[in-house]
Formats: sequence, structure tokens, C-alpha cells
Amino acid sequence: MTQIVQPPIMGHTLRRVVFFLLVLLTTLVAMGLMVSVFQTDGLSPMELILLLLYAILFSWICISFWTAFMGFFVILTGRDRWSISRQPGPAPDPTVPPPRTAILMPIYNEDSERVFAGLRAIHQSLADTGQLVGFDFFVLSDTRDPEVWVEEELRWQDMVRALDGKGRIFYRNRPENTSRKSGNLEDFCTRWGGHYRYMIVLDADSIMKGETLVEMVRLMERHPGVALIQTPPVPINRESLFARILQFAGSLYGRMFTAGLNYWQLGESNYWGHNAIIRIQPFLDHCGLPKLPGREPFGGEILSHDFVEAALLRRAGWEVWLAYDLEGSYEEIPPTLIDYAKRDRRWCQGNLQHLRLTLSHGFNAMSRLHFSMGVMSYLASPLWLLFLIATGIGAYFQTQHEPVYFFGENWAPVWPVSFAVEMTTVLLVTLTMLFLPKGLALLLLLKDGRLRRAYGGMFKATLSVVLETLFSVLTAPVLMLFQTKFVLAILMRRAVGWPPQQRGDHMTSFREAALTHGGQMLIGIVAGVLSYQYVPAFFWWFTPVLLGLGLAIPVSMLSSSIALGRQSRELELFLTPEETERPVVLRYLEENLEEDEPALPVLREKSASRFVQVLTDPYVNALHLSLLPEREPPGKRHRHYLEGLVHQLEEEGPDSLSAAQKRDLIADPDMLPRLHALFWSRPPAKVGMVP
Amino acid sequence: MDRNKISAVEHYLPPPPPALSSDFVLARLGAYWRALGVSNPDQIAALSEQALRRAAESPESPGLDPLARILITAGELLNDWLARTLDLPRPSRELAAARAALLSGAVPDWPAALFAAPGEAGGLLDALRVAIAEPTPPPSPGIMPVQRIDLFWLLGPLHRLWHPELRA
Repeated sequence: MTQIVQPPIMGHTLRRVVFFLLVLLTTLVAMGLMVSVFQTDGLSPMELILLLLYAILFSWICISFWTAFMGFFVILTGRDRWSISRQPGPAPDPTVPPPRTAILMPIYNEDSERVFAGLRAIHQSLADTGQLVGFDFFVLSDTRDPEVWVEEELRWQDMVRALDGKGRIFYRNRPENTSRKSGNLEDFCTRWGGHYRYMIVLDADSIMKGETLVEMVRLMERHPGVALIQTPPVPINRESLFARILQFAGSLYGRMFTAGLNYWQLGESNYWGHNAIIRIQPFLDHCGLPKLPGREPFGGEILSHDFVEAALLRRAGWEVWLAYDLEGSYEEIPPTLIDYAKRDRRWCQGNLQHLRLTLSHGFNAMSRLHFSMGVMSYLASPLWLLFLIATGIGAYFQTQHEPVYFFGENWAPVWPVSFAVEMTTVLLVTLTMLFLPKGLALLLLLKDGRLRRAYGGMFKATLSVVLETLFSVLTAPVLMLFQTKFVLAILMRRAVGWPPQQRGDHMTSFREAALTHGGQMLIGIVAGVLSYQYVPAFFWWFTPVLLGLGLAIPVSMLSSSIALGRQSRELELFLTPEETERPVVLRYLEENLEEDEPALPVLREKSASRFVQVLTDPYVNALHLSLLPEREPPGKRHRHYLEGLVHQLEEEGPDSLSAAQKRDLIADPDMLPRLHALFWSRPPAKVGMVP
Repeated sequence: MDRNKISAVEHYLPPPPPALSSDFVLARLGAYWRALGVSNPDQIAALSEQALRRAAESPESPGLDPLARILITAGELLNDWLARTLDLPRPSRELAAARAALLSGAVPDWPAALFAAPGEAGGLLDALRVAIAEPTPPPSPGIMPVQRIDLFWLLGPLHRLWHPELRA
């Protein structure tokens, strides 16, 4: 099922030409200024390196700047006739049955209470629209932890009971989590995909308004050539200072950037892995991911599958859109700087893997650009570090030159030419490109009174932007070192694995901060001493970077503070519209999390161990058994292995078993009734958990 | 070294008693029936007797102590009844789901249905059918062929020049 490629529309091409011309011209102007500084006595190798690095980094900043500017322009004028939500489409064919849509939540060792509270909120919001009948919900669990696994099963049953969701809310746990999240989705598509025309893919912390879900389906129906529509998820719900600052930035600047991205990417947009709707048939036809040749980290399974899936859909002629003007799409972000860096570590490997795909045969130019941008989002950090080091070394060599004022027989001194104006211009241009988008986002608030009030008013919003800018200046060097370390580790072939994320709010302890940022602080101090000693003039230019590194430990700890986050909220700083006026779906989420009366009686009692409960409680045991997939009887060797585990459990108790061993025991449908009987057959006083 | 001072490490689950007294067996069976939701002593006694009789008739299972075997038999009595009244294959996931629904509390007075005359417990069985969970829809499989991605390598263009069929 390959889509016929539509001829390029003039307006689309014009937008891209304008965009890339602006990027090119700005880069050339900045490069011209740099060359004029360097070229007095020819380019030295060091200057050439600096120039090359600056060209790459500046063009990267330019792409971001002009994207933001285009977004600013689109929102300011309110005119964007090519946005997917405004394009007219053919009337729906009355002979075609109404579509069925599967809402998929792939999970992996997540906090079950939060996962199901979120899914219930989405269900409730969808029910409010009266359109629930066209949607089914799937919890696609790849969870390995036996405690979380059993908890998920109970929460699922509780949700089905509470929402009368039999036959509409489904759950399955994969025996093997082959190919991670992409394999999880593939498993859904190949087993049940035929029931549905669309799937809406969520993340474990995604929340989406019912109206948004309905609108996404409507847009897909209206545009039969579109295979995927991505919505921009707005960060919400965190309380730590770090997360609130990020939420504010993501909310205020994010809408401008996404409008800008859509301005020039149009139907060749990208997929971000969640909060997106996908047409199932083309996904089945074109998105079966191969394993890349070679070993990890560049070979093996494709980690950042979303970019590749979008590129494969584009390769087959399908359109991929970013519906930047669809509201009601939310996600939660890491609560601390360290958690943020950990998430970066996982994404970094996936994005660097795309380096091999950038020049692969058959992909569209825009898909190649998406791959390159993904790579650059991590490669930029080591390049900035190299640029700083090269600048420092260059400045040091400059100080070693004795200025010569008298040449040959000239009696009058020849003063060295000063390039302070050009250098200052280069610096100012760079800083403008970096920080002007923040100002533009603020300007947009002047246009919309309701939105202005939602951000706490013009004064509070401006103050928040200033503080956010200072915070990002302080944390940028820390993230630069983190990402450089990640890139180097990956280049040295140290794979990342698939660790689950720590999503809930929590404070960073001094020990954790010192262990994580100690090396960065040391680098900052050493760089500061060296530059002050040998290149004092450079030292002062370098202070923002040095300050960020020197203060990494306290900044990391303080910014993880929930109390400071709450205080900043009381002061109406870093406010977002979602905090000022809670959308109903987020209120549902809060209520679900606070609810302490689950429909399922067994969930009302707190259990110390769900693993022990699955062996002792007749209901939990029966429910778990009913959810186990049918499988071939295990071989003799595996049976002996399981027998060994039973003896270990009998003698040394559940704490002596690893999570994987516990999982093996309760994943076996023959073993489960036997273990249940075993626990009930022993004298109760000593067992302690059986009446 | 005084070997008398060495005592065996206490096991998490104590070993089964060397000889099972009938009082002990009935006490454990009674506790188990109560955990399943049967509270009437007469019903407990009747069910325990059935379980004991059936366990005595069934062949020994290697690796299972006698009481565990009796308890498994007690569970099978319930499965038999469910399979028979709901017309379910056994063993099957559907049967396990029916058992889970029965024990979930969705049909509080299910023992009454168990002891009712055939045809008298229709309402309870309907409630039970409604409570049986459906974890997944029936299969509707699709094929997802693995896509080919030709990675870039420096000699690739030359290779394609040599093998024109690859350009297609």
C-alpha cells in the first residue's frame, strides 16, 4: 500500500526556499565577520578549525532561530493555510464504516498507579465527548518486574470494573520484550491491528484530552493521504523547581517552535514516538524495522524508532504532519537535572544511531534532515566544548605574540589592527540568535490577553523568562559536559541498555549530586584556574561557563527542590496555562490519584509484596493465571530450573530470588497452582501470610 | 567443635509434618474454602469431603506433598463446576478467567449457585458471565514485513553501478 506522491505545492516549496535561504544567508554573514577577523595574516590551522566549528554550530543555531521566527510570524498573523487542521479535505465516504481507533499505552516497569490514573483520566475525558464508542484502550506491558507486573494486572481489572470497560479496555504482558517499544507496538499491530483503522500511541506519562483524540481521528479521516499526525505534547504536572522552569519554557516557547517547524516541514514532518495518531495499514506495510548490521551501539535494534518510522512512511509516499495547533496533548518531564541527563543518555544512543541512516539509500531529503537534526542535538555539545577549548588555546597563543610597532625603516609606528568591533558583532549576533526567540515568545503574549493572564501577567512572565534564561545559562555547560560524556561513551561502544525512568518528583541528595556533578565541578575549577593564569582576558568571557560548572552541585540540588518549586508557584513565577486553569482531563488525573476506594477489594489492602500475594491470594493467583499467554510446555531443563527455584523459595524465601527468577516462577501456568497449594499447605503461623 | 550447637537453618516455608492428622487437613481445607468465599460450615464440610475423596482416587503427583495435592484437588472441584455450568473448555484461559471472576467478589453468593439444583442459579451465572474479564480482543492479525534499509557505505555508489538491478 504505497501512496501516490502528490506533486509539490508551490507554497510548500516557497516556504522551504525562504527558510533555508535565511539560514544560509545568516550563517554566511556571521562567517564573513569571523573570516575578516582571522584573515589579516592568512588562516592558521587553529583558526581554520575554529571557523569550521563555528560554521556548523552557528548554522545549527540559525535553524532553531529561524524556526522560532517563522512560528512567531505564524502565531502573530494567525494565518497558516497549510496547517493540517485548516486544510479542507474530501467529505467522508458514507459507505465506509466509521473508523475504530486503538489508544495504546506501551509501558515498561512504570508506576502502575500513575499509569492507570492517567489512562482513566483520558477515558473519562473521552467519555465526556460522547465518542467513546469508537475507541478501545490497550495497555501494552513490557514490564519485567514481577511486583509491577501483578500490580498492573490488578489495576487493569480495577479500571475495567470501575469504568464498565469489559471488551473495551485491554491488557497484555509480553513474554519477551523483543525490540523494546517498537517491538511492543509491532506485536499489537500484527495481532489485533486488523480491528482498527488508527492507533493513537501514548507514553506512560502521556495525557490527552478526549476532544483532541476525537479531532485527531477527524483530521485523519479528512486527509486520506496522511499516515501520521503528531501533536505537540506540553510538559505538565511536575512540582520541582527544575521541572517547573522547564514546563514554563516548554509551554511558552514550545508553541512558537512547533508552529515554526510546521511552517517549513509541512507534510514531511517527524514522529516523536508518542501523542500521535497513526494510520495502521501503512504502518503495517512500511514500518517493520530491520536490525541494523553490526553490534551496539550503532548496530542492532533501532532505538529511536520514531524518526525511522516517519522516514519509512515518507519513503512510501505518505504524509506526516505536526498538528501544532491541536491543544490538549500533555506529557510529564524528568523532575531533576540528573533525571533529565539520564533520559538524554538513552535518547543520545538512539539519535547517534541515525548517523548511519542519514545517507542511507532511498530516504527523502527532509527525512535525512530530521536524522541529522537528531544527531546534531547531541553532537552539538562536544562540538561546543571543542570550540571553547580551541578558542582558549587560540587566545593563549595570541597572548604569546609580542606586538611589533616598527617595521623596517619606517619611523612611524604601525598600530595593530583592532577587530574588537567585528568580534563583538559576532558575539552579539550569536547571543541574539540564541535569546531573541524568548523575547519573541513574550511579545506574542501581548497579542492575547487570556494567554497573558494564564502566564501570570506580562510582568511575571517577563521575570520568569529572565530567570529561566539565567537558569539555562547555568545548566547549559553542565548538560554540555553530560552530553559530551554520553557521546564519547557511545563512540567507545558502551551500550545504554533499557533502564526504566524515574518519573515522580523527588529531591536530589548531596551524595547523588556530588557523585554526579563532582567531576564537572572539578573541570570547571581547573579550567578557571588555567584560563585566569594564562589567558586572563579570556577568563572573563568564560565566566558563564565556569560559573555553571562551579555551581553544578548546588544548582542541581536546589533545582530539584519541590518546596522551591511550590514557592515559585506561589510567587506566580514560571506559571503555565495548565497550572493557572487546570484542564478537566488533568483534574480527572488528580482525582484518580487521590482516590482511595478502588473497585477491586484486593487493591484496598496494601500488600508488602505482590509476588507473595500472587502465590497466596486465590483471586490474585487466578487472575494472573488467566492473563498468562498460552505457551508450549517447557523443556526438561527449564522444568528442573523451575523446581530448583521452588526449593529455593521454600527454604530461603522470596527475598533470595532475583526479580527475573520470580518472574520465571509466576510466568509458568503449571507452576502457579502448585505454588499456591504449597503456600496453603504449610502451617499458617509460620508462613504468616496465609490465614 | 561442638556439633550439637549447630542447628538447621529455619526454612521460609516449614517442611510438611511427617504425618498428617485429619484435623489438620480439615482445618487447612476449611481455611482455604473460606478464602475462596465459602462461609457456610456445612458447605465447607461437604466440599472438603469431596476434595478428600477425589484426592484419594487421583494418582500421586511427584514433588507434591499430600496436603498440597488435596488443595489442588479442591481447586479443581471449583474448575469442574465452572467448566460444566459455563460450558468452558478445560484447561483454558477462559476457565481461569471465570475462576478469577468468581473469586473477585463480583458474584458474592456464588456458593449458593454451586449447591443449587441445576437451572436454579441462572441469575448468578449471568452475573458471573458478565464479570469474566476479556484481556484482549479476538485476534485480527496483520503482516508487517521487515523493511530494507540500505546503509551508506563509501563504495556503495560503485557497487550499485556494477549491479544495476540494485538501483531499481
